[in-house]
Amino acid sequence: MRLDRGHRDWRDIYLKKSAKAILRRSQFSPHYGNPYISVNNSLLRPEYLLGRLKHAERLHRSTANWNNYNALKSANDGYTAAIKDNILTKQLPTTCASRVLKGFCPPQNATVTKLLEKAGMIVLGKTNMDEFGMGSHSINSAYGAVTNGDPRRASALSVGGSSGGSALAVAQDLAHIAIGTDTGGSIRLPAAYMSLVGFKPSYGMISRYGVVPYANSLDTVGIIAKSAADIRLTFDILRRPDASDPTCLTAQSRKRIQTAKNRRRVSVLESNILFTPAFTPREIAPPAQRARARNMFLFQRSFARRIGVPLEYNIAEMHPLVRWAWTATLSHLQMYGFEIVPISLPSTKHALSSYYVLAPAEASSNLAKYDGVRYGTPRTRPSDDDAGRLFSGYRHDNLGPEVQRRILLGTYSLSAGAMDNYFIQAQKVRRMVQKDFDAVFRMPHPFHEEAPVNKDGVDVIIVPTAPTPPPHVRFLKDAGPVESYMNDVFTVPASLAGLPAISVPGPRHPDFPWKAERAVGIQVIGQYGDDFSVIYFAQNFLTNFHNMKTLDRLQHDKMFQESAY
Amino acid sequence: MQQRWMSRTLHCFRHGRLVQLNRYNTSNFSSPRRLLNVHLRSFHCSEPRWQDDSAPLRKELKDAAKAARKAAAAVPPESPDILPDWELTVGIEIHAQLNAARKLFSTADTYPASEPNSHISAFDIALPGSLPVFQPAVVLPALRAAIALQCTILTKSTFDRKHYFYHDQPAGYQITQYYTPFAVQGHVVLTSEDGLEDGREVVVNIKQVQLEQDTARSQEEDSSTTLIDFNRCGQALIEIISLPELHSPREAAAYVRKVQSMLYAVDAVTTGMEQGGLRADVNVSVRRRDVLDGGFSYAGISGLGQRTEIKNLSTFKGIEDAIKAERDRQISLIESGGVVEGETRGWSITKPHETRRLRGKEGEIDYRYMPDADIPPLYIGTDLIGYVRRTLPPLPTDLTKMLVDDYGLSPTDARTLVLLDDGERLIYFQRVVAELASLAAHSVPQAELGKTAANWVLHELGSLFSSDERPWSSKVVPFDAMAEIVHRLREKQITGASAKLILKLVFNGDRRPVSQIVRQEELAFSEMSADEYDTIAREIVEKFPQHVKDIVEKGKTGKLQFLMGQMMRHPRRGDMRAPDVEKALRQVIFQGKP
Repeated sequence: MRLDRGHRDWRDIYLKKSAKAILRRSQFSPHYGNPYISVNNSLLRPEYLLGRLKHAERLHRSTANWNNYNALKSANDGYTAAIKDNILTKQLPTTCASRVLKGFCPPQNATVTKLLEKAGMIVLGKTNMDEFGMGSHSINSAYGAVTNGDPRRASALSVGGSSGGSALAVAQDLAHIAIGTDTGGSIRLPAAYMSLVGFKPSYGMISRYGVVPYANSLDTVGIIAKSAADIRLTFDILRRPDASDPTCLTAQSRKRIQTAKNRRRVSVLESNILFTPAFTPREIAPPAQRARARNMFLFQRSFARRIGVPLEYNIAEMHPLVRWAWTATLSHLQMYGFEIVPISLPSTKHALSSYYVLAPAEASSNLAKYDGVRYGTPRTRPSDDDAGRLFSGYRHDNLGPEVQRRILLGTYSLSAGAMDNYFIQAQKVRRMVQKDFDAVFRMPHPFHEEAPVNKDGVDVIIVPTAPTPPPHVRFLKDAGPVESYMNDVFTVPASLAGLPAISVPGPRHPDFPWKAERAVGIQVIGQYGDDFSVIYFAQNFLTNFHNMKTLDRLQHDKMFQESAY
Repeated sequence: MQQRWMSRTLHCFRHGRLVQLNRYNTSNFSSPRRLLNVHLRSFHCSEPRWQDDSAPLRKELKDAAKAARKAAAAVPPESPDILPDWELTVGIEIHAQLNAARKLFSTADTYPASEPNSHISAFDIALPGSLPVFQPAVVLPALRAAIALQCTILTKSTFDRKHYFYHDQPAGYQITQYYTPFAVQGHVVLTSEDGLEDGREVVVNIKQVQLEQDTARSQEEDSSTTLIDFNRCGQALIEIISLPELHSPREAAAYVRKVQSMLYAVDAVTTGMEQGGLRADVNVSVRRRDVLDGGFSYAGISGLGQRTEIKNLSTFKGIEDAIKAERDRQISLIESGGVVEGETRGWSITKPHETRRLRGKEGEIDYRYMPDADIPPLYIGTDLIGYVRRTLPPLPTDLTKMLVDDYGLSPTDARTLVLLDDGERLIYFQRVVAELASLAAHSVPQAELGKTAANWVLHELGSLFSSDERPWSSKVVPFDAMAEIVHRLREKQITGASAKLILKLVFNGDRRPVSQIVRQEELAFSEMSADEYDTIAREIVEKFPQHVKDIVEKGKTGKLQFLMGQMMRHPRRGDMRAPDVEKALRQVIFQGKP
């Protein structure tokens, strides 16, 4: 029984062809930049995968003229997925790219894995990442760094992180869709560096049950794919309430989000009636009435959306190519008739420091459980010294240097002497960041009772995803930790406020031929709970710069897409 | 498999592999099977919990007995409860295991299990990716406890993480309510009922009551091996933190005893201290009575001396002894010119007159309290609070008062009746009284019935149970049988001796109705004339001439009892009354002479 609302046109399905490519390319995946930590057996038994995808393709094709629609488990039935290695899978070990959890096979699937499998998707492998998600270039892995290009060559580029393996798997055609996690930009940054679409939903939209936490008040599960349509269809499968995750939004909370959206719509359209194509009377109604309904529909669709451009994001460190891509995107949108509104988010400049206090603090707490007593890499010695310290030696041996650095940072900022100056202050900054965003958005925050609809607010905010194009891996080795933290400066504010954000490939500069080194990502940020608006906006208005090969019929055919309102 | 896993604990890794969870029996994680054999714990299970687990305590007790024998030669002088020169101040934290069918943050059940590590879910052993899901089952017992302790319930409370590394704490932190507990500002009143002197009343204020997780049980196998049982890990506890307002070791123990009896009465806990359901940490400080400012303060009470904390006391006697020992240690330290350090100390039953240092201030842990981002705040509706307040079971104090006022019992009998057998004895008593009242032809004051019934329920029936060494059961002598026996006695249809005989018959399994027993055993009482008594007495006297001779010539009046006994065995025993029997015998033997 199909529960979701997405579908794919049967003419867009090329599963058989892609199955062959995936099988061929996956035979030795390290050649493609080491995207996987462990792979599914089905890649080693090609006849199974081929048969499964052939069958799925036949099913999809049989839905022509809406026949046989319910035989499909979902729009993604038969599509392959790669899952980041910090999400539990029963069949494959979950290591978080850390030595601590080497060979750890969880007894249960994460909710995300369960939903994907229920939707008929095939999990091909667990992708490489930064250890426990700590890093921005996917090079802090106990299973080897991830690179875009041959790591021995000087031209090897950073894939971004921490979901670098997931992005690389999609970029190298090793899987259709990849699931990652986004704590401070871990999905959007790789998507920007690899010219992919990466989506981080609102905090709590997708269940975190079975996701190994890094900073649990910031962690979200997100999706990386080649097109915004893939993201929308996958997001529709994954956004379900889940009783086993207390931070996952309940059905009632989702209703409140819908209420907030309705309030915005009513205030913007100044009408309680929303005209949709399905709403339009067709044959029965007299032509005059039909024309009126169509006019109303077109009128409601064509009002100008307001796009916010935060001035604080125009930092001096921004690469000129990124600044060009940003302005080019804005002028492109202005040409479409959007209203470009300069806005101010004054607390943005403190957001990064706040993030690097809060995330390590939570990490130091979340990672306290890795003591080697109950699971994970076996301990080699009973205790460290005569004083009976039991775990510190084990943790020193098995946790990577970046993880240790952040645990120490977090332990310090939570300690009695430093708590007030660091942790509490950072929480205050976080609240200010949220208030800044609430002040500029047109839609009221769904969970703030009686928050007024800000009629002059913006609908989405458009900023670059990263201040620079992807750096070369060879320069990263000398960079200090603070420099690499700088990459998250544009992605962290949305994470702190829990807002939905999608990163899409930016426009290509006409004077410089496009190369992988010049990949730029543009980010769309929406109000909390406004996930679909963000995805539709990216799909409808920002796909013009995409690689046309990867666009399918749904993206070209924008006329009958559901509008954002 | 689970056994093996348990044996591979903290210190046993030197031989290589740790048992990994994929090899661990996962039946506990798959919900459908688990749902079928959920044992919802009945309120007040009568078997003591952890019966099979109490080995360490038993061992400890054995050791204590041994130590006591050894020390019998040189018993240190018992130190007095209150010292003239020094004022003692004690604050107590009580940890009580709540009577909930589920753990605090996981659906694993809390039924006492003999098999270690059989009641655990992924969150209890901190598997990566597991999340805490608050179990509403713990709210009711926690609320009952807080309301019984006269606390103000906060409608919004939050959960925090308290970090420390220890092998009984799998996540590396304990979830507790540090910043906003769910209940604050309660109090407990200690009176003479609780063992204080008559007329004395002590009010102990309670700072807060908070919900938190229990830790795993660890058992030291030998010097290098510790076994861990995670069944207890994650169970719901309440921590009751009192203000430092107690000034005597005896009152401190009385306070803990009182709190335990209150929690038990309102069904907030299942077991008491003896079975490990309740533990206490005490903070002790002293100051000279003439210098009433020690320079330290805690929770708004200032002028205290430097305090030390004694952890994990699990008996009432232990609390009293540990406080005394710590007080005496601090006093002798100060008197010899030393300074008390803020430190954590331990006390063991084997050495009741001393405390030992566990860790000093430099070893003090920074718990790094942090709000837990996974757990939403706990909102308790005022309607629920009102409902719990209305339906709260009566406290022992109220019950005693009711028994004294309505049933005419003496305070001692009333207290005994309330405390015995989880109140089952009390319910039995009330049923007997109700049955008696319905049997009575005309209305009799309840106090009169109550007094007689209490005597029979407490003493006559109680002595049968205790001499037989059987545990109490209200089914052995049904309450209506009991009521009928008492009723017939009150109506003078049978004698007291016959009533006891019938009770004994019924107790030993006689299934006949009481009326039938009376008829068949010919116990019905019909007034005998003095002549009849006389005839029987003569028969007896003739049977035992030797005894009569002893009485008359040697003055051994004790033998008279023997003759009375013989006479009471006569077939017409049901009609005899002891005073009349004695009178008749004396008449016959002494022929009217004294």
